[in-house]
Amino acid sequence: MPQILPDRTPWYIAGPLIGLIVVGFYAVTNRRLGVTTAYSSVAYLLVDRTRSEGWRVWYFAGLAAGALFATLLQGGPRFGVGYGALGALVPVAVLIPILFGAGILIGYGARWSGGCTSGHGISGTSSLSVASLAATATFMATAIAITLLLRVVTGGAL
Amino acid sequence: MKAAGFGFGAAFGFVITAAGLNNYDVIHRMLLLQELEVYLIMASAVAVAAPLLWVLEHWHFKTALGGPLIIERGPVRRDNVLGAAVFGAGWALAGACPGPAIGMAVAGSVPALAVMGGLMTGVLARDRVAGQIQPPEHAKMPLEAAQATAAGGASA
Repeated sequence: MPQILPDRTPWYIAGPLIGLIVVGFYAVTNRRLGVTTAYSSVAYLLVDRTRSEGWRVWYFAGLAAGALFATLLQGGPRFGVGYGALGALVPVAVLIPILFGAGILIGYGARWSGGCTSGHGISGTSSLSVASLAATATFMATAIAITLLLRVVTGGAL
Repeated sequence: MKAAGFGFGAAFGFVITAAGLNNYDVIHRMLLLQELEVYLIMASAVAVAAPLLWVLEHWHFKTALGGPLIIERGPVRRDNVLGAAVFGAGWALAGACPGPAIGMAVAGSVPALAVMGGLMTGVLARDRVAGQIQPPEHAKMPLEAAQATAAGGASA
């Protein structure tokens, strides 16, 4: 399929669109637009169905469908085991456990904090919630510090 | 609600992927402070959403499916900050957060499935740990008994 959409739509289009989606979601559902709760509802489908909210499973499916549509317009999908600079640095057998462990930190931390980059970082920040502002400042500072540390530890490879 | 969930999810997933946020190198360069694009996406999203939400709230807007608009703004709790630090560590390692991880997998990245699997495991693990933290005694009583206990405690 030819590439119709650029690999990276400019920030001044993508950012305001995300802002409008956050507001639209509030206006329709009276809820924050957060992604971690969609994961939990999918996970609870397998573990304890009474704790899975149906609409959040549909929301998760929507995220995947929207991403697939954009990928097709970008000329994809391209299947592979590459993972950017990290994939270039470590073999796949090491990469997968690292990513699984990172995923556990992401899920555990977001659930503990009550939100992730979307729930706290965009929705919560837009509603000027101090809890979300504190969480956003914390995960930004932590992620930047650890990324810079990784750069030092890997001798500039990452 | 299901249709709204699917529709807004699709819109959000589309923009995340169209903007290239489902790419380890993009997020990694952002966190290395080498490029500002992703910060500008977050800032412009908030710059658009914040005033609109303020207006809707001050109009006492009635949402389509959820009654009058109520925006929760709790105080900062310890959990918000400690959890965010753990989340930030995982985000730095994977170069992906929950939404973009879905976009990565859909675009064909097999390793992104490991991030998604880990994420679900982490969410379940946190719920299990949180479930084992016992609430204080008065929180388990019926409301009136709890109020009586609290009042008795205050007068004693």
